[in-house]
Amino acid sequence: MAAATSSTATANPARRNGSSAPERESFHKFFECWLVEQNQHLHDLVSASSPARDADDQALRPLIDRVILHYEHYYKAKSRSAKQNVLAMFSPTWRSSLEDAFLWIGGWRPSMAFHLLYSKSGLQLEAHLAELIRGLTTGDLADLSPSQLALIDDLQKSTIREEKAITEKFAKHQETVADASMVELSHAITEMTRAGGGEAAVENAPAMEEEVESALAAKEEGLEEILHMADDLRLRTLKEVLNILSPIQAVHFLIAAAELHLRIHEWGKKKDEAQAQIHHQEAYATAQ
Amino acid sequence: MAGICCGVVGESEPSAPVEPSSRGSRLRILEPRPFKFVADAAVTPSLESGRKRQRVEAFPSEEIESGRELRKPRVEEEKGKGASEIKVARADGSLNSRENLQAEPQECPKFGLTSVCGRRRDMEDAVSTEPSFCSESPQKPNGLHLFGVFDGHGCSHVAIKCKKRMHEIVREEIGSYKESSVQWKEAMERSFARMDSEVQEWSDVAKTSSCRCELQTPQCDAVGSTAVVAIVTPDKIIVSNCGDSRAVLCRNGVAIPLSSDHKPDRPDELERIQNAGGRVIYWDGARVLGVLAMSRAIGDNYLKPYVIPDPEVTIVDRTAEDECLILASDGLWDVVSNDTACGVARMCLRAQRPPSPPRSPGSSDLAVGANAESSDKACSDASILLTKLALARHSTDNVSVVVVDLKRDPQRR
Repeated sequence: MAAATSSTATANPARRNGSSAPERESFHKFFECWLVEQNQHLHDLVSASSPARDADDQALRPLIDRVILHYEHYYKAKSRSAKQNVLAMFSPTWRSSLEDAFLWIGGWRPSMAFHLLYSKSGLQLEAHLAELIRGLTTGDLADLSPSQLALIDDLQKSTIREEKAITEKFAKHQETVADASMVELSHAITEMTRAGGGEAAVENAPAMEEEVESALAAKEEGLEEILHMADDLRLRTLKEVLNILSPIQAVHFLIAAAELHLRIHEWGKKKDEAQAQIHHQEAYATAQ
Repeated sequence: MAGICCGVVGESEPSAPVEPSSRGSRLRILEPRPFKFVADAAVTPSLESGRKRQRVEAFPSEEIESGRELRKPRVEEEKGKGASEIKVARADGSLNSRENLQAEPQECPKFGLTSVCGRRRDMEDAVSTEPSFCSESPQKPNGLHLFGVFDGHGCSHVAIKCKKRMHEIVREEIGSYKESSVQWKEAMERSFARMDSEVQEWSDVAKTSSCRCELQTPQCDAVGSTAVVAIVTPDKIIVSNCGDSRAVLCRNGVAIPLSSDHKPDRPDELERIQNAGGRVIYWDGARVLGVLAMSRAIGDNYLKPYVIPDPEVTIVDRTAEDECLILASDGLWDVVSNDTACGVARMCLRAQRPPSPPRSPGSSDLAVGANAESSDKACSDASILLTKLALARHSTDNVSVVVVDLKRDPQRR
């Protein structure tokens, strides 16, 4: 059911720039459905990882592929929505304030994938250290081989390099908010308003409006491009990490990723609700 | 942070509390992967007892399949590379002769290394492994192998330069001595002094393109590196240390530190710094002038003369009970004690290799390499397990570990 809902949610006909609220609304709905699906996938992953199950690596492939497809689906929908209203993607109402505070360019920071991997791997390693020292295999993330670790390390370095490059690009773009044309335009409009609309000003107004529109459109285009690069890096990093891992390791990694994502969302929501409660009570007290 | 044990050099610690392996658990830790021969792979690979000259590096098959750019893993397995060279240099000075190899008692110790970025955003560690680093000059002492760990701070370029140059400098410095009469302490002190002055000359700076500091000033004064360098000779181990990386010898199950960390609050170091007019300020730990959390380093011009590049040199005779030598950056030592590290390493080295060749598909030609390299694999397993243990224990730093197998009796396994 959830799958059907989420695909229809994004199948909204393209809207014009002006109608950004519905777009925001529809992505919000999509996101809610996506979380329900992620939760379902989490259940599947957990039962697939249980030691009781026959550990046939190849049998895990379809499940892993399905989960990857689900992530791809998310980024496709996000990209479509960003085309309609990129600004909504930078202040996502579907995220809690807690999540929002930790976002990097509208999503999770790609280098976090390696911390997630090392943390999960570490927990599994500590749980089986005695066996590992004696030379036993555990098959999970504690079992990262020398070549896997070397690949992960290289991937981490290149991911951080890309992440830094995108951050730098974003910084440059943010600075263009104060470029000469913006400063000139803001000055011209201010003056025009102050002059109180002489004949010339009234005549110029539509042209000025248009100039503002096009200046801001250029800024938004830049944002969309940067968001696209960031989302691309996120998805690529996820896929490349999974590529390095064995199927059962990939399952463990995807479990950790989903658990962290879902729980942080939950905790953040709870915090926001508590905060809203306080505001509500304060407002009520003031009204009394 | 787990207890860091940095006793006086030579002081022995109680033996590690790790259980010896039982006979029933001799499976390998790590799944064998196809090997790919690179470098001097043309050399006949069929010599007995694994004394081969080729360098073997592991590439996972999926890396090639996925068409991703081939990356050179830094988890290297290398063995016996120096064996023929040592022998040959002694016998007739020719590097091509491979005669009498079996009779040669000296061989390069097997080793494994792992060096990862870990939970940091920048990689500032560098590791140097130079088996038979003097073999190119027949008149110079033979059977010398150098291993070094350099943990940079401020940027990576000093550590990288140490990795590139230290063995060359040491080779030149010991070249002035007659064979077997090397004055190691003074040779190493001169080597470190030269290394330090070289990192201050920025003539060839442009070569380190990955430099974070981008060498913005002509003198990158706020950049430096630790250096722990071990030279393994047929009968001695010479460890020279400057900074807070560490070398630990595992002898008969006992962890013996061969270096003592240069921390600003080490009483003698504190006194030296204060006598030089410097101060140690406690700000997120003891720091020289409130800045650097170690009292000696290569580089760090701006903290001279409080922070000095002089190494402390420890020389120990090798014994039959020596098991392995571990060199590592503080990314390991901050969270894993000397005892634990030795316990883990010796267990990995003792773990029996399975008799059957790897089951990876298409590895018929590779199985030879894998089998012959088994002991190196053990060193590599040890270094990687220590690295993973450091990461598991929340090490937030780069982690670099070199494990050198010191056992000389091939019957051991």
